[in-house]
Amino acid sequence: MQPSSSPAQTPPRANLAGWLYVLPLVLVLVPFFVAPILVVLAASFFATDGFGGLTPGFTLASYVEVLHSALTLKLYLATIKFTVLTWIFTLIIGFFVAYFLVFHVRNQLLAIGLFLLCTVPFWTSNIIRMISWIPLLGKEGLINQALLAMGVIRQPLEVLLFSDLAVVIAYVHQLTIFMIVPIFNSMARIDKKLIEAAIDAGASRFDIMRLIVVPMSKSGIALGTIFVVSIVMGDFFVVKVMSGGGSASVVSAFYEDVGVLQYPTAAASAVLLTLVLVAIVSLILRTVDIRQEITR
Amino acid sequence: MKSDRGDIELAGVCKSFDGATYVVDGVNLKIADGAYCCFIGPSGCGKTTILRMIAGHEDPTAGEIVIGGQNVVGLAPVQRRTAMMFQSYALFPHLTVRENIAFALRVRGMSKADRLRAADAMIEKVRLTQFADRLPAQLSGGQQQRVALARAAITEPRVLLLDEPLSALDEQLRVQMRQELRRMQQELGITFIHVTHTQLEAIALADLVVVMEQGKIKQAGAARDVYAHPHDRYVAEFMGGQNVLSGRVEKVNGASFTLAQAAPDGIEVPLQAHSTVSVGDKVDIAVRRDDVALVRPGKDLPPGCTTSLPSRVRAIEYQGYFVKVMLDTVPDDEFVAYVPEKTFFADPFTVGDVVMATWATGSALPLA
Amino acid sequence: MSAVLADMPETVAPATTKAIAPSRGQRPWTFYVLAMLFAFYVLALYGPMFCIYVLSFQDIRGGLVFPMKGHSLHWFVDLFTQVRTGDVKGSFDRSIKLAVIVTIITVVVSFLAGLGFRKRFRGDTIVFYMMIGSLVAPGLVLGLGTGLLFQALGLNASWYTSALGAQLSWTLPFGVLVMFAVMSRFNHVWEEAAYDLGASRWQSIRLVMIPVLAPGLVAVALFGFTLSYDEFARSLQTAGSLNTLPLEIWSMTLNVTSPSLYALGTVTTVVSFVVIGASLGSIVLIQKKRSSSAKG
Repeated sequence: MQPSSSPAQTPPRANLAGWLYVLPLVLVLVPFFVAPILVVLAASFFATDGFGGLTPGFTLASYVEVLHSALTLKLYLATIKFTVLTWIFTLIIGFFVAYFLVFHVRNQLLAIGLFLLCTVPFWTSNIIRMISWIPLLGKEGLINQALLAMGVIRQPLEVLLFSDLAVVIAYVHQLTIFMIVPIFNSMARIDKKLIEAAIDAGASRFDIMRLIVVPMSKSGIALGTIFVVSIVMGDFFVVKVMSGGGSASVVSAFYEDVGVLQYPTAAASAVLLTLVLVAIVSLILRTVDIRQEITR
Repeated sequence: MKSDRGDIELAGVCKSFDGATYVVDGVNLKIADGAYCCFIGPSGCGKTTILRMIAGHEDPTAGEIVIGGQNVVGLAPVQRRTAMMFQSYALFPHLTVRENIAFALRVRGMSKADRLRAADAMIEKVRLTQFADRLPAQLSGGQQQRVALARAAITEPRVLLLDEPLSALDEQLRVQMRQELRRMQQELGITFIHVTHTQLEAIALADLVVVMEQGKIKQAGAARDVYAHPHDRYVAEFMGGQNVLSGRVEKVNGASFTLAQAAPDGIEVPLQAHSTVSVGDKVDIAVRRDDVALVRPGKDLPPGCTTSLPSRVRAIEYQGYFVKVMLDTVPDDEFVAYVPEKTFFADPFTVGDVVMATWATGSALPLA
Repeated sequence: MSAVLADMPETVAPATTKAIAPSRGQRPWTFYVLAMLFAFYVLALYGPMFCIYVLSFQDIRGGLVFPMKGHSLHWFVDLFTQVRTGDVKGSFDRSIKLAVIVTIITVVVSFLAGLGFRKRFRGDTIVFYMMIGSLVAPGLVLGLGTGLLFQALGLNASWYTSALGAQLSWTLPFGVLVMFAVMSRFNHVWEEAAYDLGASRWQSIRLVMIPVLAPGLVAVALFGFTLSYDEFARSLQTAGSLNTLPLEIWSMTLNVTSPSLYALGTVTTVVSFVVIGASLGSIVLIQKKRSSSAKG
């Protein structure tokens, strides 16, 4: 074990070396993450002529407008609805898929192979994966055709595509992977002997799940939750395409605002959203030391 | 002028990682050129840190490290002409045995043909010729150790530093590799510094045994000195093979003094050459376990024995060539007699027997 | 699902069998339930994608849903020749170039940052959370901020400047996180051994670290390439006048209602699969080379 010293006592030379190594990273993040956020923050206080022209200044008018609009509440409710539904489904599916791979597949090579099988789509286009539901869920899609053929329904179901259901399906389809990977990682670190010991001590399968597997996968669940929540809350194109324009979320409204050059209101709503997101993420981070989790 | 001598002097060496607690605390030591020196102590006693400071992987917070007459603090390992054999060897996993051994020559810019020739010569020395093209993962623990040794030796160091070199091996191999280390040391004729926590390893190998506790040297000397004449209770207990008793001095009479104990006449202890004790002092003494003889009550004590402590046998362990008899002689401490097998079975004891534990008066050793 | 587990009768497992994943003998019933869940997940993951690949091979009569109407490459030809489908070839070209640039930068910068983060240094937590922030921030908002920033600075947004930076703000956090996992498997004693044997800092990186970490670096490259190649939200406001491929697909989803869209999906997925296959293949190759038995 390397004796670890706290940063405060690190000699200046080590501090300098550390900064030199992360300098390129910082040189990207400052202009392309910090600065844009500050620009959006600044824009939210500017006045506008309504045609895309911004007048530097300080006015809370945009915030007042955003907060007073009944639409805002509706947008946030819709966003939260999508987030919660997606989170629940991705968590359940992700947890049990990871659980199956770690604890039920005996051959480790096979488990890794199946794990990779789950991760491959992550490296392909999200948009393509989203539109790939059209031939399935559409009015004349496979599912309606099948249901009609079986005589379960008389009329094709309209709710399958271009609906909230389709939005949630597309989200779950895209984001379950973000649950599987971190949960799989934390589960794979559970010593199998621990479970054998628990069985020897007379624990039932449910006890093992409740007392060992779930607590020890907590950090993976937290990490997955951060990914899923932040992606759903920051998304707009799934909502836009899969709801067929019927639903909107905070960011899709932002997208529309930007489209009609309403920069300050868009910026104000973006700032509010970011605050909400930061609050949620830091709440989750309080339960798990993400840095230690990732770096160990 | 660079010296080829591998004598080492540590002068007031201290090391602190956090500025508050000292892992190594004022160590002074001289190690002769070509010596085999073992640092021994429990984990966390600072022995590995000393090794790493000599190697140049850690800078001392204070003090000097002198190798061959030259203060090496601040120099890189290569400039010091030291080489280290790491615990669990740290062989490069992507390089073959030959490439691992040739690594030091490669980074010095030696041509490929030259360095492979030199590596092959070294491979032969450690008898690994048929494994030259294998990767470390395909070798046994003993073979890996020999690669590590060869990789360190090819730099022609004047000091070789070994961090728990045998801890990754199983018992049988450990004894075998121990001999091999000693053979290599004699063949290379350089100073070896070896860190271990196994007493047996230290006394079997070392010319100089250094016992450490909490960053300080407790005793340094020849193996036999340290084992047979421990300075204090800590060294006696750590090196093992000794019973430690403590008590107050009852009376001092010329060349010996008497320690008050639960014995009829107390314990008589010879006084060391230049030490004085006075009545009332609290004193620790050590008695080697193999010096203790057990006599049934009422029987005569062997000649030269003036002290006998009545005890009950708590447990008996058969150890092969001797029998370990554990007694309740001292209330809270263990007291053990190593009885030669033949002696024991001539008149075997059983647990619960009452015996008199006795020893030749001259073999009791007062501790500091 | 968890209710199923809760209702589980307590199994009295003989001491020799493991209740969760017995290495021999009868598999527990949960195996079959979870195996079905897993199969369903994989089917739902890949099924829709395969639908559009299949549908992209229809002939000129083809529509967006099943049944298949004929077999031909008509829509692929259409894709690259028709004006109404936009500049597919050009955007494809740009996306590949951009992805290559992003990959190189991501690998180098992530590697350096990984080296830097191995030791604590003053301010490391700030950099770390800046990175997490960049990962979870809504891409569209960041993209807009970047776009506005470029506008304010009087710079022209283009795919090789603003979009490059915006994509790096997305690929770098991923790259660094993967690098953390990769580095955690690197035993720092190897570096120390190299130093002990006289290697310079650079020699120890070149001769020891890079070769040992090669599979991990390939993984980082895979992340860099595919995340950039498929990146959409952050590029939307930053790519300037020339589209990248995902932007092209996005505009097609809004305008094009022919199997051309599916053909484009097939083409881009093929590229993704080639890249994934090449990456995983080279990782396996490196590992295999390392574990193969004695040569010559």
